[in-house]
Amino acid sequence: MDIDVLQERVNKELSSIKTIDDVRKVRISLLGRKGVFSEYIDNIKLLDKGKRREAGQEINTLKLRTENRLQELEDSYAAEEKKKKDAASWIDITMPGKAPLVGKKHPITQTLDEMVRIFTSLGFSVAEGPDIELDYYNFEALNIPADHPARDMQDTFYIQDGVVLRTHTSPVQIRVMESQLPPLRIIAPGTVYRCDNDISHTPMFHQVEGLMVDKNVRFSDLKGILSMFVQDMFGKDTPLRFRPSYFPFTEPSAEVDIGCVICGGTGCRVCKDTGWIEIVGSGMVHPQVFRNVGYDQEEVTGFAFGMGVERIAMIRYGIDDIRQFYYNDIRFLSQF
Amino acid sequence: MKVPFEWLSEFVVIDMDPQDLALKLTMCGLEVEGTEKKAPSCNGVVVGKITAIDKHPNAENLVLCMIDTGRESLPIVCGAKNVAVGDKVPLAAVGAQLKDGFVVEKKKIRGIESPGMLCSEKELGLSDDHSGIFILPDECRVGRLLHEEPFVQDVILDINIPPNRGDCLSIYGIAREVGSILDQRAKLPIFNLETEANKKGKDFVSLKVLNTDACPRYVLRMINGISIKTSPFWIRNRIIKCGMRPINTIVDVTNYVMLELGQPLHAFDYQRIRGKRIEVRLAEQETTFRTLDGNERKLLQGDILICDGEGPVALAGIMGGENSEISETTQDVALESAYFNPLYIRKTTRRLGIKSEASLRFEKGIDIDNVGFAAERAIFLMNRLSGGAIIKGEREVYEKKELKTLFITYSHINGLLGTHISQQDITKILRSLDLHIKKEGEEGLFITIPNFRHDINEPADIIEEISRLYGYDRIPATRPISPLSAQKRNAREIALGTVKEFFKGAGFFELINFAFFSEKDIEYFLIPPSDERAAFVGIANPISREYAVMRTFIAPGVLKSIAYNINRGAKNLRLFEKGKVFFSKEGAPCERFAVCFAITGREAEFFWRDKYNDYDFFDIKGIMEGLMGAFGITFFPQKTSEPFLNPQRGVDIFVDGTKIGWIGELREEIVKSYEIEQSIYCAELQFDIILQKMKLEVQYHPIPRFPQVTRDFSFFIDDSIPVGMLMDKIRGASPLITSVGIFDMFRKEKRSVSFRVVFQSYEDTLKDETVNRLQEIIIKELTNINGISLRA
Repeated sequence: MDIDVLQERVNKELSSIKTIDDVRKVRISLLGRKGVFSEYIDNIKLLDKGKRREAGQEINTLKLRTENRLQELEDSYAAEEKKKKDAASWIDITMPGKAPLVGKKHPITQTLDEMVRIFTSLGFSVAEGPDIELDYYNFEALNIPADHPARDMQDTFYIQDGVVLRTHTSPVQIRVMESQLPPLRIIAPGTVYRCDNDISHTPMFHQVEGLMVDKNVRFSDLKGILSMFVQDMFGKDTPLRFRPSYFPFTEPSAEVDIGCVICGGTGCRVCKDTGWIEIVGSGMVHPQVFRNVGYDQEEVTGFAFGMGVERIAMIRYGIDDIRQFYYNDIRFLSQF
Repeated sequence: MKVPFEWLSEFVVIDMDPQDLALKLTMCGLEVEGTEKKAPSCNGVVVGKITAIDKHPNAENLVLCMIDTGRESLPIVCGAKNVAVGDKVPLAAVGAQLKDGFVVEKKKIRGIESPGMLCSEKELGLSDDHSGIFILPDECRVGRLLHEEPFVQDVILDINIPPNRGDCLSIYGIAREVGSILDQRAKLPIFNLETEANKKGKDFVSLKVLNTDACPRYVLRMINGISIKTSPFWIRNRIIKCGMRPINTIVDVTNYVMLELGQPLHAFDYQRIRGKRIEVRLAEQETTFRTLDGNERKLLQGDILICDGEGPVALAGIMGGENSEISETTQDVALESAYFNPLYIRKTTRRLGIKSEASLRFEKGIDIDNVGFAAERAIFLMNRLSGGAIIKGEREVYEKKELKTLFITYSHINGLLGTHISQQDITKILRSLDLHIKKEGEEGLFITIPNFRHDINEPADIIEEISRLYGYDRIPATRPISPLSAQKRNAREIALGTVKEFFKGAGFFELINFAFFSEKDIEYFLIPPSDERAAFVGIANPISREYAVMRTFIAPGVLKSIAYNINRGAKNLRLFEKGKVFFSKEGAPCERFAVCFAITGREAEFFWRDKYNDYDFFDIKGIMEGLMGAFGITFFPQKTSEPFLNPQRGVDIFVDGTKIGWIGELREEIVKSYEIEQSIYCAELQFDIILQKMKLEVQYHPIPRFPQVTRDFSFFIDDSIPVGMLMDKIRGASPLITSVGIFDMFRKEKRSVSFRVVFQSYEDTLKDETVNRLQEIIIKELTNINGISLRA
């Protein structure tokens, strides 16, 4: 048993290492279960008893050194390998990424959905009515008889005698009251039509109608509900004011203005220099409307309101031409 | 209505600036939509006084006026004839600026140097009058800049009068409102009528009112021997500021008093009244009548007519007749001041499509109590402006009615408003509005409504009056007393939500088109007359032919939006629209919900790493599968019967045997009708049927604990055999088969299709032999079919 031979063998094998795989092969051939060191260690027992101890120590020292050396080599090759791999995984991270297909709801739908969400949270449920409406529901029952001056307020599309395209969502009030008894708390979002087409009017647009009827519904409740809506829709600090107005189907009637979001109230083209933008028409349900649907006005009171969705969307997004909503230009739709 | 601040101030004391008043009016229900500053468009023009007038030495038509400017005396050459010594006139010295930026320069006129000029109203931008020099009112101060004189500057309030407030269609009416707000009483104009004592109205004209329902009050007054002229500046100026046009002293006075007091008036040329009698009656039969605008009007039974001894001379309350019109030579005027029933006037104006300042007021109801006073006021002004003699007394018919009285309780007022307004405040507000409190009780008030308030008919109307003057801003904002209950969304809301979510997630933009289209669209889509989509609902008064009928399906609108975007450079589009469609069913309109979606071009124009293919049928089919999956609906495609789809690449969609829509490639010629050059894949579904069939409840299935096994199979399959059918066959081969997909298809003489089948047991790990056995069954089942062979 010659330690030198072993040493020589170890040196030779170590110097043959070129790659990390070589390290593994050499480790097996030297240190493996059937490796060179095992052979030498097995052979120790063939020596004289007195020499065994010394030889054992020498072999172990050499083995330890070999192990360390192999570990060193392995680490160094691994580092090298990793470096190579890293180099190969280089990409130009400034190249553009791949955009996923993203769709958008129309800004009117987004605004409408938001309005419905707010009123639903205030306890209102959604009601519906037809777009092609009877004159009776669109006008008569709402206290707007034929030849009433208020008919001038709206340019009506006629289908045939007594049948119109609804000019507002208010007929839904009548339909709901005719079919249900109080208490009522409904909103009616929908499409409405007026015979008008210019920079501030489209022949079709959207409204949300609201109606609450119960015992002891007060004008102050109308103020409360609409204030909550405005604060949720436009922000907690949005200034708002209630101003007397006229609608044939409410009495008293109120228009709700919010502080102009374009100029912040100092006056601009959008708010016609008033600092205020009108967004809701509202009021206490007119006694005649209750009589028309057979409600007992001694028993119940109610409020109603209506607002234009386009108008609210225009304020929300700063759009100055209502017709933009209906060109359906992708460059417009993709902004919301 | 345009309300000059200066004129308004004649009736009430307004100690605030116009902007503040505007805000107060707005907050009390008379919305001031704008305020406009009025001032002459000149600069540097001063008030001068003519101290002497000399002849121009070199020109007969010119004179030399010595003008005192307060600091110096200037000789000004002037060509106008209407100047006199002592007149105050506008002097534009050299350097002054006139209308349209014209700057006055030193000029020699026929040898005489003039250091400035005297100006006409037109040159100062005050009116169109250029007939002479503008003679200023005597109260002007010599030396003061003209544009600083109060009489030429003003602020005009543009007030949006609510349709029910006819009583506010006059300066006095607005003043009355201002008075209520400022706790004052508006003053009526004061004047002294000097009449010709020995001539009496009844000697000149007789009056008869045959229908006092149509005309409960009619007053006629006379003035003789007038001479018609141009009105003085102050009258013309006010008329112009209110948006009307001055004509002459007589017409201007009728308009002036209408603007001032809200009473429309009509002046007849007395000499042209035949038979010297006036009769107010309803037309009995169809007749024609030429109104003073020169139009021949067809009158029907029920129109109110003013007639003389021979026939109609005016269409009451709307327009006078040509036959009795005032002319330049009129000397004797019969002035009508009347109250006509609004219902009659509305009916006639609506039918004839005439709107005049007079009819506008009659339609909304004027103050019947004011009819006589307005006549006096007008006659007084006519006399002042046109001379002549006022005939004593008036001819009048007046059927008086008792005033309305309403009872209202305090609790009703505060209960409806949610306020605690004191009884004292309530009565104070009512009094400020001229609402007379007849009786004050423990519980409430009896209130008499004056005739000018046509809008107050029941207690709610009184509550409105109280609330608006109390101030809406003082009414609290409260939460309703009634309890909140959770609201359930209805099925359509939920389903629409699913549609919106699905398409948003699938990269579609939502469109909203008008719900109108044109008959052309039905034609372009080759819809046969028997199809329900050809049974459209038409609009009687459409805004254009393009939007003349209600849409019966959505696709044409989507196609127009595609064309619009392609024309603007966006060629790759994924779009959807939901909305109503309308049909005529046995003559009655009905409406339904529909959903349409379309894709064209490809997913993206480019991505540097990838290649994109143009969309094809399988893209739109995949969207349909996804959408139906979202609704939990199984659908069956069948060969299409739609005339607008490419028959090779279109299918009709059936659910439980009912057709609910179609998908496919639109025929080339249809796409071309909309000037589109690229393939469009489109689909439209009846939403209401989806609502009935959908299953949105989710039932959880446990995740299998055992591994799945995947096997691939490739076959040559004849084109005549539909692969969809084979997939069903494989799926049906064993309950252990959980999915069948196609991962490859190519054509090399024959069509080769590769299936990937997933096997899965919920009970144990599948053994190889089990899968092998199933594999054999699949191969056998397929290869048994004529035209299918296994690919090695």
